[in-house]
Amino acid sequence: MPFEALDPLLHSQLRLGVMSLLISVESADFVYIKEQTGSTAGNLSVQLDKLSTAGYIDITKKFEGKKPRTTCKITPTGVDAFEKYVKNIQQYLKP
Amino acid sequence: MEEKELSPQESLDLIQQMIGKARKRYTDNSFYFLLWGWITFIASLFHCITATYTTFEYPYVVWSLTIVGAIISMARGRKDEKAAKVNNYTDKLYGWLWLSLGIAMFTIIFNGNMINWNTTPFILLFAGVGTFVSGAMMNFQPLRIGAVIFWILALAAFRVDPNQQMLILAAAVAFGYLVPGYIMKSKAKKNAI
Repeated sequence: MPFEALDPLLHSQLRLGVMSLLISVESADFVYIKEQTGSTAGNLSVQLDKLSTAGYIDITKKFEGKKPRTTCKITPTGVDAFEKYVKNIQQYLKP
Repeated sequence: MEEKELSPQESLDLIQQMIGKARKRYTDNSFYFLLWGWITFIASLFHCITATYTTFEYPYVVWSLTIVGAIISMARGRKDEKAAKVNNYTDKLYGWLWLSLGIAMFTIIFNGNMINWNTTPFILLFAGVGTFVSGAMMNFQPLRIGAVIFWILALAAFRVDPNQQMLILAAAVAFGYLVPGYIMKSKAKKNAI
């Protein structure tokens, strides 16, 4: 069986890290994701935008008092893509 | 986290690592157990003592404290949710569990006259369910033991009059809510979470 190409959007360290975090929670703050992935705010913003454009995550921006707060949540499309990615990767790892 | 080409094995390791980070760690919910433990403990003792030793006609008014408790719990829940940097399904489930049990308990209490105020055994059974499931969700043994005490005392409460049931209720919350609540609080302090 030929190997299926891995989703290039998920086959990147930071984006895959973000998706793996979001798959196990209901929603997470930008700050939390930044802390857990150890990424810089700038790079994380760019990668989150890419995931959001693909429809893999929902980004909500709101203000709490004067503080902006960005919350991310995985979408059903994102869950499907993640599951497919894991399945494909398992094929590569099969002896 | 830097950008680099991932091998399949590295991808899988990364997924595992991140899922492990997001997994729910020990949550300190002792606030609610202590709040409801003390409200119920004080109210049931007050009820029993005034009904037995005084001519006060409305010993049950002390239970209006539960309305204050409900308001405090909801306010605290909302505040915690707002402050949380990550929302877990476990916390949500936990909130819904106790809200539904709370509705069931209030329904029993407000219709208490229909069952001659033999409300305590039913309250104890419901409290046992919430405490047991919470204990299982948090993997916290003292809560599971507390739940068993609730159920054993429910058996006893079915066999005594409503006034004595109040004493059983006080004992039940002491072992079912207060003791596990304080253990949870001290553990949370030790683990600094």
